[in-house]
Amino acid sequence: MRFCCRFGIAACRQYSSSGGGYPNVSLSTALPGIPKPIFASVDGHEKYETKITTLENGLRVASQNKFGQFCTVGILVNSGSRHETKYPSGIAHFLEKLAFSSTSQYGSKDEILLSLEKHGGICDCQTSRDTTMYAVSAEVKGLDTVVSLLADAVLQPRLLDEELEMTRMTVRFELEDLNMRPDPEPLLTEMIHAAAYWGNTVGLPRFCPVESVEKIDRKLLHSYLRSYYCPERMVLAGVGVEHERLLECARKHLLNVKPVWGMSTPGQVDCSMAQYTGGIVKMEKDMSDVSLGPTPIPELTHIMIGLETCSFLEDDFIPFAVLNMMMGGGGSFSAGGPGKGMFTRLYLNVLNRHHWMYNATSYHHSYEDSGLLCIHASADPRQVREMVEIITREFIQMVELERAKTQLKSMLMMNLESRPVIFEDVGRQVLATGKRKLPHELCQLIMTSRDSLHTSTSRRPSPAKTVACHACTASSGRRALLTAPRTHPQHDFHWNWCNTCEQARKLWSGLRLVVFRMVISELRIFAC
Amino acid sequence: MAAFVRRFGVVGEHFVKNLIKTNAVKKAVRQQSTPAAAEVALNVPETKVTTLANGLRVASEDSALPTCTVGLWIDAGSRYENERNNGTAHFLEHMAFKGTKKRSQLDLELEIENMGAHLNAYTSREQTVYYAKAFSKDLPRAVEILADIIQNSTLGEAEIERERGVILREMQEVETNLQEVVFDYLHATAYQDTALGRTILGPAENIKTINRADLLEYITTHYKGPRIVLAAAGGVCHNELIDLAKFHFGKLPARYKGEAPALPSCRFTGSEIRVSDNKMPLAHIVIAVEAVGWSHPDTIPLMVANTLIGNWDRSFGSAVVRYPLTPYHPTVRSGLENADLGADFKSSSLALPAPQNLSSKLAQVACQGSLCHSFQSFNTCYTDTGLWGLYAVCEPGTVSQMMHFTQQEWMSLCTSVTESEVARAKNLLKTNMLLHLDGSTPICEDIGRQMLCYGRRIPLHELEARIDVRVCPSLTHTHTHTHTHTQLIISLRV
Repeated sequence: MRFCCRFGIAACRQYSSSGGGYPNVSLSTALPGIPKPIFASVDGHEKYETKITTLENGLRVASQNKFGQFCTVGILVNSGSRHETKYPSGIAHFLEKLAFSSTSQYGSKDEILLSLEKHGGICDCQTSRDTTMYAVSAEVKGLDTVVSLLADAVLQPRLLDEELEMTRMTVRFELEDLNMRPDPEPLLTEMIHAAAYWGNTVGLPRFCPVESVEKIDRKLLHSYLRSYYCPERMVLAGVGVEHERLLECARKHLLNVKPVWGMSTPGQVDCSMAQYTGGIVKMEKDMSDVSLGPTPIPELTHIMIGLETCSFLEDDFIPFAVLNMMMGGGGSFSAGGPGKGMFTRLYLNVLNRHHWMYNATSYHHSYEDSGLLCIHASADPRQVREMVEIITREFIQMVELERAKTQLKSMLMMNLESRPVIFEDVGRQVLATGKRKLPHELCQLIMTSRDSLHTSTSRRPSPAKTVACHACTASSGRRALLTAPRTHPQHDFHWNWCNTCEQARKLWSGLRLVVFRMVISELRIFAC
Repeated sequence: MAAFVRRFGVVGEHFVKNLIKTNAVKKAVRQQSTPAAAEVALNVPETKVTTLANGLRVASEDSALPTCTVGLWIDAGSRYENERNNGTAHFLEHMAFKGTKKRSQLDLELEIENMGAHLNAYTSREQTVYYAKAFSKDLPRAVEILADIIQNSTLGEAEIERERGVILREMQEVETNLQEVVFDYLHATAYQDTALGRTILGPAENIKTINRADLLEYITTHYKGPRIVLAAAGGVCHNELIDLAKFHFGKLPARYKGEAPALPSCRFTGSEIRVSDNKMPLAHIVIAVEAVGWSHPDTIPLMVANTLIGNWDRSFGSAVVRYPLTPYHPTVRSGLENADLGADFKSSSLALPAPQNLSSKLAQVACQGSLCHSFQSFNTCYTDTGLWGLYAVCEPGTVSQMMHFTQQEWMSLCTSVTESEVARAKNLLKTNMLLHLDGSTPICEDIGRQMLCYGRRIPLHELEARIDVRVCPSLTHTHTHTHTHTQLIISLRV
């Protein structure tokens, strides 16, 4: 070993070239003595399909095989912020942050990570409004460890006091960052859900409100977990694994296991259906100084306008997905070559014609019992009214159908190249429907959605509209955060409007016209 | 803005003296035996490589997907520019989508959109990339379009004028991204007065003056067969790709009339830039030492070291570190996948589960002492040099402490890093490099980049073997040496 002599000036440019066992072979040439690889071949490769089995305790196991030495395996639970009706909001958010902390087998998060690292694995937990996903990507040969770890992380978390305390801090930081971000999209999504489904199901806050942070403790979490974390509400999904092996691991680690919170009480589950209320949520905020750097970001008012669509279980889901694709849009100065949707209506009719608009993007959120199609737009505060008029007008015509369908198909297939996306797709579909529609079946549905698009849009009742506004005051340069309390939807306004809609519901365009008028009148009030 | 700029000469002498005192390396490392197996089965398809008569290389990996990515990786970027034409490579990339002799801009855009395809391009300091994502059945059309835009671009005067405005606006956008800004400062000072020190976009005055002749000259000088790789992944048949390449790129010139342009040499200078602006709430700091080029064997140990330092953001919580998914490599993209459009379908968004492993000591220190909001270790490689360092975002009051602990951690890589820590970092690095290869675009990107950097695609098992080789001594050597050489840069905004 030659360490001490290597600090002279003369040696300093040599780096490790003579540093012992490390091969001084340029990366451009193969290492000597490296074994000859035998590559997988595409020929005779059977088309992989999704296999689903239900275990005796009700847990569903779904898998899909794929090329590669890595797999993505995870447990999806039918639990999210929409299930927090009887609890303080924020439990799902807490569980997301607490995931993969200490469990009965593992003393700390670090131990979990260490054992995962041995199989080149990483783990993550993500919560949405209706689903919580615990996922691990690791080498296929570590499957048994991975499933055992997942079972432990989901069913046997210790939820120690210090972990809870740390989570409280993390949640607070996240809330702080959320408000400081120049990109308002997560906040707007939160607001439009609150407005559309006031105080119920998917309208409940996805991010833990500050006032709940202190309220959430182990007892409360256990009570929640007892109701929602039962095998019937779970799917174990794997991509890049053989079904039989996954099944074997599931039997070993997820059958006849008693969770740390004792027997589940499925009777406590909140089964309420999403009630679309419609409404307006506004937040006043100084956006004159959101830029973290010296170059100022123009001060903008962000709005999101949405309409109720349908659940992903309904036949109309695909037509609405196509509609969303047709609306498309994006930032007025978003980078990107052709293919990003430059011929979507929000680009052609909005951004290309009105250069003062900074953004117009369409989103479609879909759940098991309802859905929301919304458009996000940004412009200077003085042009809010004009912006809203333009956006509402865009909810009207429909052209470019073929392109939208092709793009929807390509988006679907391109997303499904990646293992974690396939995992989520398999998991969510099986969780919601007990089976999986394969990509080519969905493509078939997309191609045949021509007529249904017209009929479905015209027969949608959609008796209300939603506006979420994220406004700013052109005030001092000081970062002053003025968060106005959420106003309850104005009921008189709302009911009048519903009656109008009742008459207009036969025609989609008729409805839109009403929406348009109402939004304008509302925005007039707002703009004052 | 009351900002002022100061440039310092070489700093850090004091720092080095301290380092030399603590350079005892205590660990004995045992030799690892090389794998004995003569063959190893990989559950991935082979990357096939063919060189055409004019030197253009075709490389592809067929995984029989219904979609594919195909692109051109060109060994040309802002490094080949001089003070006067800095910004040309990037300008050219912008012009590629503005119409060819065969297709107007509108034709091109409509054709791509109607195919459900995506067309993207980006420029880095050493590479220019054009790629398309499409259904596999559309591969021939995608290759034809790529060939058309790089060989037959009209470069119309009107379009050039219009694009100036767009690029100037893009420049403003880049300036709002402080990470980009601070990395540009890093290059400006580390490679001062050399080609790598210049930005990819070029200065505003160049953007205003670059003309058609500059663009044409750049193409004729650099877009030559041997400097181009046609790479593809997903549902692509290699033989079909070769035929397409011969047909569409066969006419590309193979060699130069005079002398081929040499890679401009770029010397490293230890120095620093501070831009002080009291109005800004946070300081953005980059500190780096000179590292090695792409193909240098030390690249791998440096990546391990990189992983040991890790990544951290205060919202991750205590001591949990996400390491960089890919080595930070500055590029200016004219195309990003617009994921928003796809946010709707059932297969929404569980991106690669974010890696959050490895207890980095620096993360522990930063977390306990509230030293920074986030930090990120990086290793940026070029052909013959590289930058290894740390990017941190801090409150102004904690800057000096953060820098102190950063350097302390760097030193402990040489002095007190344990075998088990290194083993963990190696495992993580493997995970990081291999997990990332998911989907046709990352794979195609990997093929294209490796073909340019290494002249081959490193098989996965070799990459693993290279990471597995005992690393500690080399690692420590590399670091102590870079340190003794006083290669220290700080780019700071307070």
